[in-house]
Amino acid sequence: MADNTADLHKIYLSGRRAARLVKYGAGLALLVFGFWTVSFLEIPMDRLFGLFGRLGPMLANRIFPPDLAYATDWKVLLSLVETIEMSILGAFFGTVIAIPLAWWAAWNITPNRTILYPFARAVIVLCRSVPALILGFLLVAIFVFGPFAGVLALTIGTIGFTGKLMAEQAETIDMGPVEAMRATGAGPLKVFIFGIWPQVKPAWSGIIIYNWDARLRGSTILGFVGAGGIGLHLRLQISQLEYHAAMGIIILVVVLVIFSEAMSHFLRERLR
Amino acid sequence: MALLEVNNLRKTFPTGEKALNGVDLSVEKREIVALLGLSGSGKSTLLRCINRLVDPDSGQVVLDSTDITSLGKHDLRKARVQMGMIFQEFNLVNRLSVIENVLSGTLGVTSLWRTITRAFKKDDIQRAIELCSRVGIADHIAKRADQLSGGQRQRVGIARALMQNPKLLLVDEPTSSLDPKIGAEVMELVCEVADERNIPVLFSVHDLGIARTYSQRIIGLQQGEKVFDEQTSALDANSIEHIYGFAPNGSPASVAH
Amino acid sequence: MMPAANPTLIQNPLRQPADLLRRYTIYAVIVAVILAMSVHLLVYGTDWSRMGSPSEIAETAISLLPNLNFIPKIVSPLLDTALMAFWGTLLAVVMSVPVSYLAAATTTPSMIFTFPIGRGLIVLSRSTHEIIFALIFVATLGLGPLPGILALACRSVGFMSKTTAEAMENVDRGPIEAIAATGAGPTARFLFGVVPQVFPMFLGNAIFAFDANVRRAAILGMVGAGGIGLHFSEQMKSYNYGNAGACVLAVVILVVVGEIVSNRIRTKLISG
Repeated sequence: MADNTADLHKIYLSGRRAARLVKYGAGLALLVFGFWTVSFLEIPMDRLFGLFGRLGPMLANRIFPPDLAYATDWKVLLSLVETIEMSILGAFFGTVIAIPLAWWAAWNITPNRTILYPFARAVIVLCRSVPALILGFLLVAIFVFGPFAGVLALTIGTIGFTGKLMAEQAETIDMGPVEAMRATGAGPLKVFIFGIWPQVKPAWSGIIIYNWDARLRGSTILGFVGAGGIGLHLRLQISQLEYHAAMGIIILVVVLVIFSEAMSHFLRERLR
Repeated sequence: MALLEVNNLRKTFPTGEKALNGVDLSVEKREIVALLGLSGSGKSTLLRCINRLVDPDSGQVVLDSTDITSLGKHDLRKARVQMGMIFQEFNLVNRLSVIENVLSGTLGVTSLWRTITRAFKKDDIQRAIELCSRVGIADHIAKRADQLSGGQRQRVGIARALMQNPKLLLVDEPTSSLDPKIGAEVMELVCEVADERNIPVLFSVHDLGIARTYSQRIIGLQQGEKVFDEQTSALDANSIEHIYGFAPNGSPASVAH
Repeated sequence: MMPAANPTLIQNPLRQPADLLRRYTIYAVIVAVILAMSVHLLVYGTDWSRMGSPSEIAETAISLLPNLNFIPKIVSPLLDTALMAFWGTLLAVVMSVPVSYLAAATTTPSMIFTFPIGRGLIVLSRSTHEIIFALIFVATLGLGPLPGILALACRSVGFMSKTTAEAMENVDRGPIEAIAATGAGPTARFLFGVVPQVFPMFLGNAIFAFDANVRRAAILGMVGAGGIGLHFSEQMKSYNYGNAGACVLAVVILVVVGEIVSNRIRTKLISG
């Protein structure tokens, strides 16, 4: 018994030593990686240390006070409305397309595993892999300057975002009702409507609301590349070095996003 | 002079629930005392008032001539080291290993640096391993706590409490989350280790059979008030009825939860 | 078995005409709103004369097909992007420790002062687009990946802090009680009671944040904050659409690879 505890003691200590080695090794590796990054990216460390010294005065003089008179000008407010509309349209159209895609992209309920499933999965992944701003830029070049490209970009973003979440959600449902529907000989669409939809509706509704909130944040910047919305005014003001006006727009946008998040949070709570 | 004295303890929760309504008790240096009562009778609250995990509204708790109730934060922590507590739900840190859970019993006296780096003293590690052997979980030392069965987890809890070298064991319904057979083994173990260390045990329980089997004295609690305080042998049908507020036929199985 | 799992089937026969009327009015309103917005943005808001014919559109789209010869030139910026995402996330993780401490009702020192500050920082971080952060940092630090890293950190710290604070508030109190009963002080209670419960989720969220930051890092270059975004917008502006397409392809590959790696690490974390 006595030497058994001595053995256990040794085992414990060696375990601790190994854990400590790993921790310090990882820490060291991270440090080395950090130094390498600084040199590779040519990061001006001296500028970094002066950051807060310069940030304060810059914020105080060049940005504050924000030009709220400009921000509440009707043209700006109109583009804000346009921004909101873009987000709603993008979320709506995207969701309409994403629902069947999510159904096809869920392994347990997809009506066809050899063609539809990989196709839906690929579409969703692709839609998620292109950042919204890049997408907006591309669509402006392909189609036309203005909210058309923005709505399209937001639609694609929605497909990627909600498609993935809804498919993941669908894969967790109870297959009992689905199998029961299939056993009656019902076609895949009926199986979806009666066996799957009632189960996923609550979670999917939450995802849809969450998505709209996310799209709204993206839509505020799409104007930067000419895809509609208030981002255009922001870029304009910055390029004209009108930083006070730019700050006014930023504040407007931040307030809008805070409001939309509160609302989306409220709606999702109501859903329960 | 009793090791533990509780005088006129009162506690009313903010919800208005009157948990303790003037409870007195004492525990001698070598006793195993059962705190018997239904759920909601105030047993858990009473135990927690003793080491002030819950602060009583009024009353006194005196451990070995020290007034616990008047202690400041720093001294209270020192006092808590002297009282080892064992919990109904085991309250282990699930992600940590068994040995680390047992070692956490020394956190009351471990320095800040050792706490942050989890570098416990060699002597403590040795003691912890010996305790693990004593309670019968030596084979599971390196396992994560949540990989153990209920009975094994409670043994870890016992070892953890003993790491403090306490003067007193406070045990909160140690068997309520365990099968009867395992629960009996756990109770046996608690009584054994307390006997080996010459320390008293105050354990709360709602099961009559367990109270009878393992205690020398029974304190009956009903709705926050003490209604019985005698040697276990003096427990009869009348007193049982008084404690529970109704008349069970005395066998453990009939006690309603 | 079927009736129990199909609330729609049970409800239908019993549904009141008033309910149906309410449902259909809601649908009609939604359709009307969407239609109105579509007309506003996509008909009036879009300059269809500048759109070009379908064949011109197709031509532009095809010209965007990646010019693979350009890829070697953007490997380095792509690496920059990945590094930015990594260090931005790491910085956010570090910054989230004090912020979540302030923003958790159970650990914050003062509910009146520090708690609102913590929550306020979280709201600001989550409501401000990373481009806006990047603009501010570029103005103070100049061009390069450093402002990008800081922008990503500021953007992610909100998400990390919010989830961590909520986890800390919802932690199981039992183990903390047990640690307190041994006479341990607040540091030990936190390190042994709270941290082990919160850490796995914290790590998982950090990986999720990294994933999101890869996408964000790709666009920050468009405002001069480092990464491949700059090259993308330069090629687009000079109408080298093939090269721009190559940049997009590179971004897509980076995002997809990043996601695969993230998922691998996360599944290992759950099982390990």
